[in-house]
This record gives sequence, C-alpha cells and structure tokens, in this order.
Amino acid sequence: MIDIAGVLAANFLYVILITLGGVLVSGSVHFVPVGGAPAAMAQATGIGTGTVQLAAGAGLTGLVTAGAMLNLTDSMALILAAGMVGAMIMIGVTMMVGNLVYVYGVGVPPASAKVDYDPITKDRQDIYVSQGTEGHGLPTVSFVSGIIGGGLGGIGGALVYYSLMSIANGMASADFVGLAAIFAVGIFFVNAVIPSYNIGGTIEGFHDPKFKKWPKAVVTSLIVTFMCAIVSVITIGGL
Amino acid sequence: MSAGGSGGGAAEAIPQNKLIAFGAAGGLIAIYLSYFMVQFAGPAFSFIGALGAICAIVWGAAAVRRVANYGLGTGVPSIGMLALGMGVVATIFGLAIGGIAGPVVAFVTAMVIGLVIGALANRIIGMGIPIMEQSMTEIAGAGTLAIVGLSTAMTGTFMFDVILTEVIATGYIALIFIVAGIAILHPFNANLGPDEKQDRTLSTAFEKGAIAMVMAGIVSQFQPVHPLLPQSLSDWPYGMFLSASTASMLSGTHMMWLEQVSCQRKRRNRNEHGTCCP
Repeated sequence: MIDIAGVLAANFLYVILITLGGVLVSGSVHFVPVGGAPAAMAQATGIGTGTVQLAAGAGLTGLVTAGAMLNLTDSMALILAAGMVGAMIMIGVTMMVGNLVYVYGVGVPPASAKVDYDPITKDRQDIYVSQGTEGHGLPTVSFVSGIIGGGLGGIGGALVYYSLMSIANGMASADFVGLAAIFAVGIFFVNAVIPSYNIGGTIEGFHDPKFKKWPKAVVTSLIVTFMCAIVSVITIGGL
Repeated sequence: MSAGGSGGGAAEAIPQNKLIAFGAAGGLIAIYLSYFMVQFAGPAFSFIGALGAICAIVWGAAAVRRVANYGLGTGVPSIGMLALGMGVVATIFGLAIGGIAGPVVAFVTAMVIGLVIGALANRIIGMGIPIMEQSMTEIAGAGTLAIVGLSTAMTGTFMFDVILTEVIATGYIALIFIVAGIAILHPFNANLGPDEKQDRTLSTAFEKGAIAMVMAGIVSQFQPVHPLLPQSLSDWPYGMFLSASTASMLSGTHMMWLEQVSCQRKRRNRNEHGTCCP
C-alpha cells in the first residue's frame, strides 16, 4: 500500500507547482482570441475554432518543446522558456495563417467590434466592421494578446510537466515519461475547458469586456487542479 | 439559440436513470468479467472489456446530449475533452493504487472530480445549467470506464504494472484518450439540430464505441502475450474464432521451423549433410 501522507509531504512543492501551472493555463486561455464557429464564417473577431482546440494545440506544442529541452538540461528556467516559446510560435503561426485566410481568402479587413480604437496601434476599428457581424480577422491587439496567452499557457504546461517529471519514483524512465505526459495532457485539457465555459465560447483578447471574468475561471481551476495534482503526485510518487 | 443546443432539457425516450444503470453497471461488470475470463479461460476473452467500454460510451454520449442541449456557450467537443481529461487522471490513480479494486476506485475518483467541476461551474462560473452537477459526474465516470474498458481489451488485465508498460509507455493511452473522447462527444455533435432524436444519437454512440473496440482489438494483436494465441492445446474452447486458429497455425509453423533449425544444427555438429526429416 502506498504511504500517501509520506509521498504528499515529500512532494508538496510539486503539488503547488502543478496547481500553479494549471492556473496559468486557465488564465492564459482568456488572452487567446477565440472566435469559435462564428469566426470560422468571418462573423466574429478571432481564430475560427474552439477554445479547447486552440489551447490544446498551443499548450501541447509547449509540452513537446519543454520535453525536448528536458532531454538536454535540468534547469527549470530553460525548460519553462522552451515551453513558452514553443507555444508562442504555435499560436503565432495559427493566427498569422488565419489572418492571411481572412484578408486574402474571405476578403475582410481585420477589425474588432468590442473597441472603437485598437488599444495598441490606435487605429479606428468600428467603421471597418461589416454590418451584422461582430468583427472579423485578427487586429493587432488580438494578435499581441494571443501571443501573451500562448506564452502563459506554454509556461503553465511546461511547469506541470516539469513538476511531474521531478517527483522521485521507482519506475523505468520510459514508463515514467509516458505517465507524466498523459497526466500533463489530462490536467491541461481540464484547465483548457474550464475557462472556455467562463468566456462562453468567444473572446477577442485582453481588451474584451469578457476578459474581466478571469478570476472566476482561475478560482475554479485552482480547486480542480489542486485535486488533480494531489492525485497525480500520489500516483507517481507511490510507484 | 446558443451554440450547441436549444437552451432547454432534451426529450428522451429512454430515461437517463436506465442509461446510468446500463453504463455504470454494464461497464464495471464487463471489465471484471473480462479480467476473470482472461485469468481462467484464456486471453481471447479480453474483448469483453471493450463491450464494457461501449456501455460506458453510450452512457457518456447520453449525458453529453442532455447537458449540451442546454447550450454550453461553446462547442460540444469541449465537454468530451473534459470528460477524458478528468477520466485519464482518475483512471491512472485508481488503477495504480486500487489493485483488484482499481476500476471501482478510478470510477469513484472520477465522479468526485466531476462533481466538484460541475458544482464549481454552476456556483462560481455561473453557467446556470440545472443538471450540470449530475451530468459532469456522469460524464467523468463514463470517460473513466471507457478508458479502463479499452485498456483491459488491449492487455487482458487492468493491473497497473501491465497497463503502465503496455498501454501508457507505448503511447496507446493517447489513442484511447482521443478515440474514447470522440466516441463520447461526437454522437451529439454530429446529430444536433432540430430533428435530433435520442435513438439516433445513441445508435451513433454504439457505432463509435464499436470503432473504438476494433482499434483496441488491433492493438491487442501487438501485445507481448498474444491475446488470441492459445497457451496450450487445452485452451481450445475459443478455437472457433478464425483469428485464434490463424494465430495457432502461425505458432505451429513457428514450432516446426524451430524443430527444423535445431535438427539441422545437430546434423551439422555430426558433420552430416542432406535435408533434415525429423
């Protein structure tokens, strides 16, 4: 039988770090300009797919880059940086290609319907929004917001994975990597879905009024990830 | 109308309580039956685990249908991914600490996590779906049973040492994750609309579960203990399966080849020439 209290006491730092990683993922989703189905028809600002797919795409790329860095070094800062850059590149490429499709394929100018002037470039937005739509494409502010979101999500995913990989255990390394990876993926998905319910499907970035709802998702993620972290630390530490 | 549903409860011909009984009891019974049949009758019976996964998948799809009909505000796929995210964490925990009680421990752990997420979704996030707590609990349990059932079908056991090396380390867990997730989320996602009916959604769920079963069957062929290979000739009750007889024919050919090789080696040692006829 596993010595549950002993394992938890020895690895309590990692429980905290995993929880922090999950909370970062949950917060990061609020930065990503998710347009959902309306954006796929160029009727809302953002990338034309759901929160979970975007967060998973960026976050799992972050996990892959963090895992690659974990082969080379034990430095936590480098691993987190690798995860951050990987996720930022992934979300950046997604947004850039999306914008190319919106501008040259659909033929709409990137415009936000939530603000009259882009907070970063001060460009006028409202006159470029087509009638009957809630904006289209990815204006500069949404792009910058998305990059920030990808970075935070990548750090979060890498932090969860690094913490899981740091727990002392008696497994063969191939088994351990598989176990830690699938735990990280599970925790990541839970924390990507919770904020998507909070923002109700679409958000434009940090300038969107819905962004102010982030504390609700973060509190929910804090509680849920803490449970998942305890469960995963007991599992890995006890083997 | 909000994304993913009509904003009200779903009409149902089969009451949800019957589907809960079907999924939870059917799933757990099939998983344990599969485990004991593999122990006492032979590895071919691992397929019963996948039948349990089908029960769980149908239950999960029915629960997704009920909750997504209220309108989640985002796509239906999110809830399937949530189910499998909770499910995979709970499954690994339950199987790792539970031993023979593993599937039950995993099931209960998943339902606790699901209940907490459902309660927080209504209390803190304020989704305002009256059946959120119940549905999240059901979906988490169904996701867990689907994962345990498919893992059992792949390896013939739910003991964690085997699952760890043969399902998790090999990466098949990622296949299970996405196949079971799609089987739970896709039926309602594909059928939703004004003429969505419970029987159509649930029959799609059966079909998706069967596809997951086929995939588990393909994977089970590559396990180190060949699930369809008879351990000895006394294990012949399932020799009626075509694949089992194919496998035993292969093993017979293999043994004849081994005999040939050892005979040739003996003759070479005695400096004799010519073909070997044992």
